[in-house]
Amino acid sequence: MSEAPVTDWSRGLELKAGDWFIGLYQPSPETTGYWQGVARHELLLKNCPACDRHFHPKRIVCTECGSDALEWKRASGRGEVYSFSEVHRAPSAAFAGATPYVVGLVKLEEGVHLFTRFVDAPVGIGTKVAVDFRPLELGNLMPVFRPEGA
Amino acid sequence: MNPMRCATAIVGMGRAMAWKTDPEPKTPLLLAAVAARQAMATAGIRRDQVGALFTGRTPQSYMVLQYNQALLNELKIGPMFSSEVSSHGGGSLGAIQLAATALNAGVIDYALCVTNEASGIWMDQVGSNAAWEGDLQFEAPYGPSTPSIYAQTFCRYMHEYGVTPEQAAQVAVENRRWALHHPHAAMRNKGPITVEDVLASRMIATPLRMLDCAVWYPGGIATAVVLTRADIATARHAEQTWIAGFGQCNTHEWVGERMGGWGYAPFEDGPDLIQTGAGVAAKQAYAMSGLAPKDMDLAETSAPFSYANLMMLEEMGFCPRGEGGRFVADGGIAYEGGLPFNTNGGYLSFGQVAQGLYNLKELVDQLHGRAEGKPVPGAAAGIVHMHGGPLACHSVVILTKERLT
Repeated sequence: MSEAPVTDWSRGLELKAGDWFIGLYQPSPETTGYWQGVARHELLLKNCPACDRHFHPKRIVCTECGSDALEWKRASGRGEVYSFSEVHRAPSAAFAGATPYVVGLVKLEEGVHLFTRFVDAPVGIGTKVAVDFRPLELGNLMPVFRPEGA
Repeated sequence: MNPMRCATAIVGMGRAMAWKTDPEPKTPLLLAAVAARQAMATAGIRRDQVGALFTGRTPQSYMVLQYNQALLNELKIGPMFSSEVSSHGGGSLGAIQLAATALNAGVIDYALCVTNEASGIWMDQVGSNAAWEGDLQFEAPYGPSTPSIYAQTFCRYMHEYGVTPEQAAQVAVENRRWALHHPHAAMRNKGPITVEDVLASRMIATPLRMLDCAVWYPGGIATAVVLTRADIATARHAEQTWIAGFGQCNTHEWVGERMGGWGYAPFEDGPDLIQTGAGVAAKQAYAMSGLAPKDMDLAETSAPFSYANLMMLEEMGFCPRGEGGRFVADGGIAYEGGLPFNTNGGYLSFGQVAQGLYNLKELVDQLHGRAEGKPVPGAAAGIVHMHGGPLACHSVVILTKERLT
């Protein structure tokens, strides 16, 4: 298990994705822009200009029209908790010191769902949340969501 | 009548097992080879008669490109088709469905399907599985454990349908009862449990407690089956188990991807966490077989968490959507008098081997009156469900003891 950051596809942008096996799950030419946005504290989504539809940052082609000309578009950063779980047993040693912490799905105003971390205050389904950017346990900066007003 | 109804039969079966505590640890490939040879021997077929070799995906404890070819090396066979069927753990039963399709196209006469895993011997399953159940770029850096990914669905399931932790816990209680009779169940010596035990067990990822979770199988299991067409099965073989119907539905990779789907079953109107491909697959299988849930004498599922068993009972048609909790609370799967469900103890108490056809073997054994654990007397038909990924890839097979005409 190497601790060296993976940099080949990401053009120098560090991303350690779990401490077991990362294979090709590094920033690819299709996702590097997302992580560049995170570094600027901006949450970006894929958008099809023809359909004006937003997609998960991983999408390569528009589900509606099939176009591969998707563009990065900044999200409002606001949404609500769709589902969540408080982790009591960490998946690996890297996260053991952080328990309990809350992972879950946020439904953004743009209609896209992201897997994320909920921070700063307890949440329930439907809690209004806003994006923030925090370095998490693996050392990389990640978008997280905190209850509005927390 | 659907032409695929009882058009294919299982005519040979083999199984090889190993335990973590064995003095000499065994590899998944060794187990697969032993099970495959046993299946060929019970079917009475020669090496040169194997027209297709389908394996599940490469065992996590034996990561090679083309596991099917590694196994083929060992068996010295030269089939027309050789492939991994790699829809996560759903590929186990998926392999059988591809075999049935090829057999009935008439291009091959015999298919050998082998699936196995021995991660319980070779790996830290808790750590490694977490890395396999989430997107490694967009999910894993948040630190989700496998239970916390599945817990997203439990959280919504309670919210949308009012299912309670008590109702889910009842599944763990019933599964344990069956496991206590099964010589190979991981929890066979652990005694019965109560709903209170489940609710008092350690919190793993809210709302899932330890006894809501599948136990990782402390060993390895390989299961192999030989299949053939109906005409050959009846002319040349002494025992047949009939594939009355099958279905399959693969909808996503990770839970985040699942929430981006729409315009296809079961997400026609948009994504949610409750509807799964299992319902689609079960409907296909019932339609092919001409049978209904009421015709099933027993049911086996790969649901790895208590609440997911409630959902799979709904998806397999034993109760309406959202009623799984009430169905189980009212004795729907009661050890005495309910639907015989997860008769080897299920993933919660038999254990999870990550992928395999051991649920299928349990059903075949029950239909022929040679159950290793507690028998279901007179069972004539049953349904088996396997899934893989975070409720992502679902395959269902309905088996009958007699050929339906």
